[in-house]
Amino acid sequence: METKPMAELTYNEAAAELESILRLMQSDNCDIDRLAELTRRATALIAECRRRLTATDQELRAILAEGDAEK
Amino acid sequence: MNGRKNVMSLRGLMNVVGQLVQGRPETSGVWVTAELADVAVRGGHCYMELLEKDDGGRQIARVRGCVWANVYSRLAPYFFQQTGQQFASGLKVMLRGSISMHPVFGMSFVIDSVNPEYTMGDLLRRRREILERLKREGILEMNRGLEWPLVPQRIAVISSAGAAGYGDFMDQLMGNPAGIRFHTRLYEAVMQGASAPASIIAALDRVAADAHLWDGVVIIRGGGATADLQAYEDYELAASVAQFPLPVAIGIGHERDITVLDYIANKRLKTPTAVAEWLVGLGEEMLGFLISAGQRVLQIATDRLAGHKQQLAQAEALLPAAAMNAVERARARLRSATSMLSGVSGRKVQSQLARLDMTLEAVGRAASTVTSREADRLKAREELLAVLSPMATLRRGYSITRVGGKAVSSVAAIAPGATVETTLADGTFLSTSH
Repeated sequence: METKPMAELTYNEAAAELESILRLMQSDNCDIDRLAELTRRATALIAECRRRLTATDQELRAILAEGDAEK
Repeated sequence: MNGRKNVMSLRGLMNVVGQLVQGRPETSGVWVTAELADVAVRGGHCYMELLEKDDGGRQIARVRGCVWANVYSRLAPYFFQQTGQQFASGLKVMLRGSISMHPVFGMSFVIDSVNPEYTMGDLLRRRREILERLKREGILEMNRGLEWPLVPQRIAVISSAGAAGYGDFMDQLMGNPAGIRFHTRLYEAVMQGASAPASIIAALDRVAADAHLWDGVVIIRGGGATADLQAYEDYELAASVAQFPLPVAIGIGHERDITVLDYIANKRLKTPTAVAEWLVGLGEEMLGFLISAGQRVLQIATDRLAGHKQQLAQAEALLPAAAMNAVERARARLRSATSMLSGVSGRKVQSQLARLDMTLEAVGRAASTVTSREADRLKAREELLAVLSPMATLRRGYSITRVGGKAVSSVAAIAPGATVETTLADGTFLSTSH
């Protein structure tokens, strides 16, 4: 499977790839040789999606401060 | 003197006019239709201008109207409950009231009742006109056809900075407990009154200029009881929202407030808080998916490995038997192939085979007849031989007498003193004749 670098993926693309990996891993023709590779890619996608989805506390404080400034 | 007789006080004149127009059946308790303008509430009383316009929008009649506080306190909630509207400028109303003449304030229409159905009918008709026009122009469904990203995180907000609704929205969005990241910018607009549509359109234009920065737009207002949504029933605003290149979510009112925008916007929610909750909900849903996806990846990988290990073990156990099975299978295949072949070759072959069988049988039978006859003959000969054999005769007690090596059958042939050789079944002895 061709994989784009994480940074180039849109959120929707990352989520879609994650779903397709899950389907592939569950299917009967999942090659045992690729199991490790698929698991690694899926885990990386999950981490990337979570990173984009949620802000760190520090970022949150910055955003809130910015919001207050605009008010 | 004459002139003096004709002079009246101003108050007197107004009283005369008042007597002429006031308290008469033609002007008391009558129903009129009018458009509201300059609505204002002071001291619990509601004051307004009642207008009638011609098709070109020109005023052709105008009178001051008022609802006294004791009536307004009942009438306003009733009207709002029935129509979702406050008494507000631009609204078409059907009112019951009486003409009243005041020496100072002049003539006014004192309202005691309202027919909300008329207003509803008018609002719905106007909304329907706008929607039909948008449909004719092919833009009615355009914004609703757009898709939000799975998790919209970059949000352009159109609201007024001071509005309670905007504060509620930001608090809800930025304080979300899951820590979902949102980036917003406020594009300010006037959200109340007649200037609202143009101001919101201008804000939309500013967002459109930055469209690449945003996943979508939310238009929010709220808080306060002055649900003056009349202004939102506006074709230009509806058309702008319908054609906007990013999906638009609206939260501009309360439970009952519906405007033409509710039919146009990609996502309609009741309040600013509800819009924020929706956005946060999408993020939480995605977080949930990510967590479960992580668990599933782990589970699948573990199961797969375990499954393969088990398969290996089974293969090892089965290996010795496998070769035997293969041979057995090959044999079975051969058998079935043979039976299939005979099936295929049909009756002709079958009858040939039968004939062949018969021939074989006949040959066999013939052969066995010959051999058994031969055997019988042999047996008979053997028996005959046995009977004819001199040994058998000797065994019955006969003997052979020989003299000089020659068998003799008469005593005359035996000279006295000759050595006689006698052969019995079990041997030969010699004697001398006397």
